[in-house]
Amino acid sequence: MRLAYWMYQGTAHHGIGRIANSMRKVHAVYHAPQGDDYVTTIFSMLERSSQFPAMTTSVVSGNDLSTGNIRLPETLRQVEARVNPDLIVVVASCSTTLLQENLEIAAQSANLACDVLVYDANPYRMQEVGAADRLFTDLIKTYATPQPRTPYPSVNILGPASLGFHVKHDLTSLRRMLKALGIVVNVVAPWGASVDDLRRLPAAWLNIAPYRELGARAADYLEAQFGMPALRDAPIGVQPTLRWLDTLVSQLRQAGAITMTLPPLTDFSLDGMSAPSAVPWFARTCDMDSFAGKSAFVFGDATHTVGITKFLADELGMPIAGAGTYLLEEAPWVREQLQGYVAADQFLASEEFQVVEKRIGALRPELVCGTQMERHSARKHDLNCMVIAPPTHIENHLLAYRPMLGFDGADTIADEVYTTCTLGMEKHLIDLFGDAGLEHGGEQETEDRRQKTEDRRQELEASQLVGEGGNTPPASHLTSPVWSTDAETMLKKVPFFVRGRVRGNIERYASERGIAEISAEVMLAAKEEIGA
Amino acid sequence: MAPKVQFIREDGLYHSFCGLVSVGWLYQKIKDSFFLILGTHTCAHLLQNTLGVMIFARPRFAVSLLEEADLSSSAPSLESQIAEIRAEHKPSVIFLLSSCTPEVMKVEFEGLAHSLSTPELPVLFVPASGLDYTFAQSEDSVLQALIPFCPVAPPEDKRLVFLGSVNDAIAEDFALEAARLGIPVAGFLPAAHFHELPPIGPGTIIAPLQPYLAKTATQLRNERDATIVTTLFPFGPDGTRRFWEDVALAFDIKVDLSEREAAAWQRISEHTALLRGKKIFFASDILMELPLARFLRNAGAEVLECSTPYINRRFHAAELEQLNGIRLVEQANFDRQLRDIAEQQPDLVISNMITSNPLIGRGIVAKWGTEFCFMPVHGWSGVNTLAQMFTRALRRHARLDPLGSDAIWTAGLMPSASGDVIPLR
Repeated sequence: MRLAYWMYQGTAHHGIGRIANSMRKVHAVYHAPQGDDYVTTIFSMLERSSQFPAMTTSVVSGNDLSTGNIRLPETLRQVEARVNPDLIVVVASCSTTLLQENLEIAAQSANLACDVLVYDANPYRMQEVGAADRLFTDLIKTYATPQPRTPYPSVNILGPASLGFHVKHDLTSLRRMLKALGIVVNVVAPWGASVDDLRRLPAAWLNIAPYRELGARAADYLEAQFGMPALRDAPIGVQPTLRWLDTLVSQLRQAGAITMTLPPLTDFSLDGMSAPSAVPWFARTCDMDSFAGKSAFVFGDATHTVGITKFLADELGMPIAGAGTYLLEEAPWVREQLQGYVAADQFLASEEFQVVEKRIGALRPELVCGTQMERHSARKHDLNCMVIAPPTHIENHLLAYRPMLGFDGADTIADEVYTTCTLGMEKHLIDLFGDAGLEHGGEQETEDRRQKTEDRRQELEASQLVGEGGNTPPASHLTSPVWSTDAETMLKKVPFFVRGRVRGNIERYASERGIAEISAEVMLAAKEEIGA
Repeated sequence: MAPKVQFIREDGLYHSFCGLVSVGWLYQKIKDSFFLILGTHTCAHLLQNTLGVMIFARPRFAVSLLEEADLSSSAPSLESQIAEIRAEHKPSVIFLLSSCTPEVMKVEFEGLAHSLSTPELPVLFVPASGLDYTFAQSEDSVLQALIPFCPVAPPEDKRLVFLGSVNDAIAEDFALEAARLGIPVAGFLPAAHFHELPPIGPGTIIAPLQPYLAKTATQLRNERDATIVTTLFPFGPDGTRRFWEDVALAFDIKVDLSEREAAAWQRISEHTALLRGKKIFFASDILMELPLARFLRNAGAEVLECSTPYINRRFHAAELEQLNGIRLVEQANFDRQLRDIAEQQPDLVISNMITSNPLIGRGIVAKWGTEFCFMPVHGWSGVNTLAQMFTRALRRHARLDPLGSDAIWTAGLMPSASGDVIPLR
């Protein structure tokens, strides 16, 4: 048992709901207490669903438990009458799993015309990602049917699902590129697919499975069972997209689906006559000089952590201070992918946001790429953050076209990095003279500072507490030097948006040298020594 | 005696949140508290998603996470976690909340809480599992757990205690209003701090501010011989007037607040003009439905149906009397409600965060009931906000271009939606 505050992944039943809510005429039924119905909200709120999410809770109450009443058959009948599905997936919840009821018999007694799958998604062994991926793969195993390839070149896109990160935009970006190549999309699944669409999967010449989290295992199965080649790379960034297109064309040629080669790159642009992405030129402009040396910390799921880390390093030239993932089962793959990008001791695999927060606080990178959790951690440390992976907040569900994949995705990510970081020539000017009228009011700052001192005090207590558990951080992190009045005054002259970093650097300088009080002299020496 | 009000009880297949969500406001209300839920990943996921609570960087609540290896033991060991909480948050009281899984495991919570308690830091058991409790109901359990810590007031201490958590500004309003009427106030349950709980005894008059606290009221009546004022809840000009007149009467003070009520109705006349004759359907789960429906009826609206998770004949007696003739449903079936909504075409549906957007997708004006829990709608000063809450959605939808309701504007939005077919070729 451990004390948990926030979780990176949702529950198994949430993962099942993501698959059901992605598919046409598939419905999830939760055999669960009413309290578990909350997952439905996540769909209707974050995706602003205009119809009822494809899931229903078949309520189990305390009274039902004592009387042995199972409402499941009646719920199944109501669901069939209301939505007329092809398939209903029934799952138990964390509490009802323990009851060891025979839900198969209960479901059969409803006598439905549609398919009913009582699915074993053990919530103590599976979380959202694992449950979603396993169910998706199992559905394909159940329904995919041998058949001849289409007479035209075609592909399936596997993996986009309800509540996936920017997946609807990714899908548009992928479709645009495939259209430029004249390749037809046979089936997208689970997003928008019906059970019949799953049956038709083997008609395509190739499977595109860009997400490590969902669809890759299904692609493995389809390759083994139906001899369908798969393109498993995520085209995040310009170079990976070019390689992805090359691979796609050569795999389809090899399969005998096409004879063509790549069309001119301008064909991939929105207007058909420009560069497909503005990133390669953008990265070379003088403006981006001020980015040189800005470090980034990247933390998220597997696909986005790997893709974004490489993009920042390879295409914007940013040093990577650290990277990692909360998907522990994917950690070895992420680590291997990021060899040469992230030093081994700067790779982090953790499901605990506090651990990630401490790392961010210690590294103080100029850019944090993370989840909603890292956004809070970064705010706490006064650092810039952009969200690159779930879990998300409604703020991450914006209306405009913002893909992560393909050429369009490269532009989106570069824009996001640019607007998230403090920038350019203006930055030099402000840094140098330090007064552009941007300063917060003095009182407010004092209040902020007081609050920070308090937070800091609590944090120190907390970290000392953790330290007792044997995982003792270096002593320098435990003692925070005191600031003299004149040093504090000098620090005030540093522009407010870099002040936090300067303060941190000087405190680290002082504690590393065992200096208890930061005087004006110490500060000067530190500035000279570390260029803080 | 008034005729017994009829209500229908259905099968409870409606959408709702778990009772644990009340932690989202109670930990803020009781400033030196910590809420520890003995639960699973599901409980943590619920809390972080439902109330947008991820905005709180240092919440004073957490889940003691039961993992697979813990499932075999019905006596989980929480000592080290209590120590961690004590060191990091220094609370004056820890509420230990039950949830579905330990209920099924038959964890003996009373004994567990007792064994973890010390005189300096009591650990109080709060039944709150989603098997039995919905939405705000668990506040009732939290307040019950606090009762033993309210000092016993002597019989001659005849003062008022307000029951139910309201924010500090509203609490201040009610204290001032009581003073103005000459009513002596002993305090609020819950108070802002654990050690500020009001004394309660046979002379105490209890004025319920929230409609979901029937168990606490009953316990105060049975254990402390306190008097519970049977009155309307202080929502709207009508409810607020009755509330204060009845509370004053309990102190043998006769007041006539008819002018005050009339002035309040006058202040919201532009809203009531809009509400008059409007058909309104309650399909929400917040347990405030009865008083809200009563306000709307008195404001001239037609309440087609008022469903609420549960109705207590005694605690809700005054409200029920005023709702005579309105279709009242306990434990509603949402499928049936959907069919009725389609048939009756209400002008406004008060529903919840799960169902509002999809209802709007069907061309219905819908509003989150949940918002009423987090807005200052109590008492005289809440009248305006309360009325606005109902008219805002009506006005906003009326202002929007009707073009927007064409299905074309939601095409492709939901992958599973029928009719949103993205052509494959």
